[in-house]
Amino acid sequence: MAGDITPELFAHLVELAAFELPAGQAEYLRAELNKQLESIRELEAIRVGEAIPITSHGVPYLPAISSRPSADIIQPFPHPEEILAQAPESQEGYFVVPDIPHTEL
Amino acid sequence: MSTDPDPCDLTAHEVLSRLHQGSLTAVQVVQSALERIRRVEGRRPTAAAYSPTPEELAEDRRWVHAYLHLQGESALERAAEIDRALERGEDPGPLAGMPLAVKDIFCVEGTPSTAGSRMLEQFISPYTATSVARLERAGAIVLGKVNLDEYTFGSSNESSAFLPPVGNPWDPRRVPGGSSGASAASVAAGEAIASLGTDTSGSIRQPAAFCGVVGLKPTYGRVSRFGLIAFASSLDCVGPVTRDVSDAAVMLGAMAGPDEHDATAAQVPVEDYRDFLDRGVRGLRIGLSPDYFRLRFPDPGSGRIQEQEIGGEIAATVRHAAQLLAQEGAEIVEPVGMPSTRYGVPTYFAISRVEAASNLHRYDGVKYGHRTSQPVEDLREMYRKSRGEAFGVQVKLRILMGMYVSAAQYEKHYYQQALRVRTLIRRDFEQAFSPQGKFRLDALLAPTTPTTAFQLGAVYGDSVLMQYADLLTVPANHAGVPALSIPAGLDATGLPIGVQLMASDFREGLLFQVGRTYERATQDEAWRRAKPSLLEDLSAHP
Amino acid sequence: MSEYEVVIGLETHIQVKTASKVFCRCRADSWGAPPNTNICPICCGLPGVLPSLNGEVVVKAVRLATALQAHVSVLSYFARKNYFYPDLPKGYQISQYDEPLARGGRFELPLPDQAVRHIDIQKLHIEEDAGKTRVVGGRRWIDMNRCGVPLIEMVTGPDLRSADEAAQYLIRLRQLLRWLDISEANMERAQLRCDANVSIRPRGSSILNAKTEIKNVNSIEAVRAAIETEFARQIREVESGARVMAWTLEWDEEAGVLRKMREKETEGDYRYFREPDLLPIRLEEGWEGRILADFPELPLARRDRLVEQYHLPAYDAEILTEERSLSEYFEAAVRAYPGEAKRVSNWIMNEVLRLLRERGLTAAELKFPPAHLAETLQMIDQGTITLATGKALLQKSLETGRAPRELVAEEGLAQIRGSDELQALCLQVIRAHPDQAQQYRAGKTALLQWFVGQVMRASQGKANPQETARQLQDLLGPER
Repeated sequence: MAGDITPELFAHLVELAAFELPAGQAEYLRAELNKQLESIRELEAIRVGEAIPITSHGVPYLPAISSRPSADIIQPFPHPEEILAQAPESQEGYFVVPDIPHTEL
Repeated sequence: MSTDPDPCDLTAHEVLSRLHQGSLTAVQVVQSALERIRRVEGRRPTAAAYSPTPEELAEDRRWVHAYLHLQGESALERAAEIDRALERGEDPGPLAGMPLAVKDIFCVEGTPSTAGSRMLEQFISPYTATSVARLERAGAIVLGKVNLDEYTFGSSNESSAFLPPVGNPWDPRRVPGGSSGASAASVAAGEAIASLGTDTSGSIRQPAAFCGVVGLKPTYGRVSRFGLIAFASSLDCVGPVTRDVSDAAVMLGAMAGPDEHDATAAQVPVEDYRDFLDRGVRGLRIGLSPDYFRLRFPDPGSGRIQEQEIGGEIAATVRHAAQLLAQEGAEIVEPVGMPSTRYGVPTYFAISRVEAASNLHRYDGVKYGHRTSQPVEDLREMYRKSRGEAFGVQVKLRILMGMYVSAAQYEKHYYQQALRVRTLIRRDFEQAFSPQGKFRLDALLAPTTPTTAFQLGAVYGDSVLMQYADLLTVPANHAGVPALSIPAGLDATGLPIGVQLMASDFREGLLFQVGRTYERATQDEAWRRAKPSLLEDLSAHP
Repeated sequence: MSEYEVVIGLETHIQVKTASKVFCRCRADSWGAPPNTNICPICCGLPGVLPSLNGEVVVKAVRLATALQAHVSVLSYFARKNYFYPDLPKGYQISQYDEPLARGGRFELPLPDQAVRHIDIQKLHIEEDAGKTRVVGGRRWIDMNRCGVPLIEMVTGPDLRSADEAAQYLIRLRQLLRWLDISEANMERAQLRCDANVSIRPRGSSILNAKTEIKNVNSIEAVRAAIETEFARQIREVESGARVMAWTLEWDEEAGVLRKMREKETEGDYRYFREPDLLPIRLEEGWEGRILADFPELPLARRDRLVEQYHLPAYDAEILTEERSLSEYFEAAVRAYPGEAKRVSNWIMNEVLRLLRERGLTAAELKFPPAHLAETLQMIDQGTITLATGKALLQKSLETGRAPRELVAEEGLAQIRGSDELQALCLQVIRAHPDQAQQYRAGKTALLQWFVGQVMRASQGKANPQETARQLQDLLGPER
């Protein structure tokens, strides 16, 4: 059921989303989310018969129009160094990030 | 009578025939576009904080500000190559010499590919999207990357991280629409002859309508999505924004078709869409649906269903279009009930937010894009600060909603429910187009948008109109069917009105057939001679 | 015997042996390559990329599922498993969730006492691998080479009842994976990875208690040791009145201890949904005919057949079917040899296997075909060469590349028997060792064998041992 998004639930969603919010943005976003819950309530209220299947892409991918899996051949990307070059931090060919927090026993 | 049009104001097919005649060179076309850009762009949008003084704001609001990245030099080089090919008697392709603005949602090798976000401000793509590569092979010349709502989340181009925002050439104090706002604006202003955009809930068609140009959302899977920075994977479509229907037909033909890099690109042969342009509409059945002449939505307070009729001028324009098509020999069929139309927006909310939140997981500051320069204790903090700093508010809103809709405790209700409601929407179209059905339509005719372009800052945020404005365009995204928006007139204040045509899967040819007929039938109408005010001002002060 | 029994379920990740990765065409195997050299925009999760499925991964997964008698779904779906981790570039793993490729199989696990336990295979699905991380100076260094390598995940029911059984399961699974050419399954190279779910209960009970998950076990021995350690720990917990908590534990190989693992962030809510960028895996009509066309006899079935068909002891059959090409070598040799299969078996278990191990080859790679083995054995049977010569012939043939019969002819390796040559040799040896001859004549008859050995050496193994002994006895003198 679509209840209000409480500050606790909001905090959980922010945790899942992995971004920090500057002061003031949290309340604004929570309020906007709650307004948009109207849409969710609308969705809930739509009565869809039991037998109605899901539609994943609109256009039904019947075999005739569906692509086939690829052949197992090696086609190396010519410039892997261009990918590493985009890294905010790298060393000796590795992407480098801070360590992960862990709980001590 | 009037002076020769600037090359940048021609259509691609006009350019092509002049190139072949030798009365124009590709270099001249590109130079013309670059000159136009110089004159109407105004200052380059940046991701710096945007707090203009009233004077600066007034100045900004005179110009288009479409381009985030301009590559004049390489465009001129490419144009010179095309001219040399022509001299050698080689075929430079069906889009030869066409200056193309690419919505900055596409990865193009060697260019900053930003998605309108601080997150990717510094990202230089090491590869090129399939659709762009195919257009280049057909002779199109990429002039640069143009602005958009951040990650395409928006309908006005106001939510880009790069400001000042895009101005509508018909009135630069108004929005061009979104998210392909700069695509439509640049074509309308002569800063490109065509643009490549994307449409997830109307993001090509709505700006095309607001800017008085042609915009096509092809059938889902008609054009490869490889290289398109993803928003909602099951809804995103790549499509052309052009001056006329013929250009859209050629552009689609050049980029459509299977792609080994996109499993959802349909294995359906690509027709020569030009064959459809002169077939006329005699005998075609074109439907009108009452569900596209009103907005139906639940009242925020009571939850009761409200109805808002779609305004006089817009409805009248659609009716006028129907009359013209009837005069040309089409049979107008009405009323065609499409009862699930009003479910389009809530369904869209659920599906698009879930897919978008997941598609944006990869922006974590590890491999590319923005990483915070603040000191951090650990990896988790790095994620939070980097994403917090680099994503705009609209992006955060959509991600949070996506988390809510897909969180385990709710998943069965909302996301699954939405996928099943999508079936109902799809069935509306199947029933409308079925040769064994009640209506047996070839096409559905409807308004593209409920209003014309609104003022910048006017509805950004919360109005019902903003939220439900996608109502007329999003059903085609859910159903996967192709939809074409064409200019159909001006409102009383001189702003463009667009009408849209929808057809069944992979019948883009039919859309071009009807669209071209309508163009011919209206070619002498007064509104066709109107120009965006920005260009009128230019002519007045050359 | 403990009053508790241990209940074990294993989750294995198998690196599939294809040329390219599962969703892009980078090389699948990049062991030893410098970091971040075997990558592309797709497996690194760059903006705008899309996955494209390698069909060979499906073929191999279907073959494995078939070997496990699992029900293969004609239509199965990929799903996104969303979580943040630095070696997971897209921030989600493409896996399968609600509709996996196969369900409901069973693994036949032979136990030492000739019994066979049926291990339930709950499901089998395809997914992509993540990259590798090293911790260096308090920071994490990431190598994406392994991102996108195809994996098959197999989950058993809680059907294993000892650490030994768990080890046996892995050994048998490795055998099967290599047999079907699905994976090299080398645990030390992370081509076969295993997480163990462990719980205990009073012996004879059938309830399932809280289980711990053990990760980071990098060898079959480590699996055994880790499970035994955990079994003991859980008993201690329960006996001291505490409850077993559903922890995730990490095995520290060097220290030989278990540690409670760092908690993965956001674990638990992966927000699975079907992958919209991929079409469902669809097995088209007639797929059995195509994918299972040359489906081989499986190892245990072949083992049992060898026992029955060739009257071999179970011990022999087990060794001969350890590896598929060895069993094929055996049968080809038997077909080419008119004598007893057991004889062929002995030779393969001893001489041939030794050569294979020395050279690090499989039987398929050995340049000494089964027909040559049969030929060698026949020459021994016919007395053309001695046993010793025969054994040496394998090595010689490998080194020179020449067939046994040719070598015997060219190098004059034929047996020396019943001839003046033999007599001359014996006399030569006797004359060379007058002291031993004297001792023999004085009664040390055991020296006869020593003399035979000397004659064998002098003749480079060609002297027939029995005849040599007789000759020597004649020649050495009256002590009979």
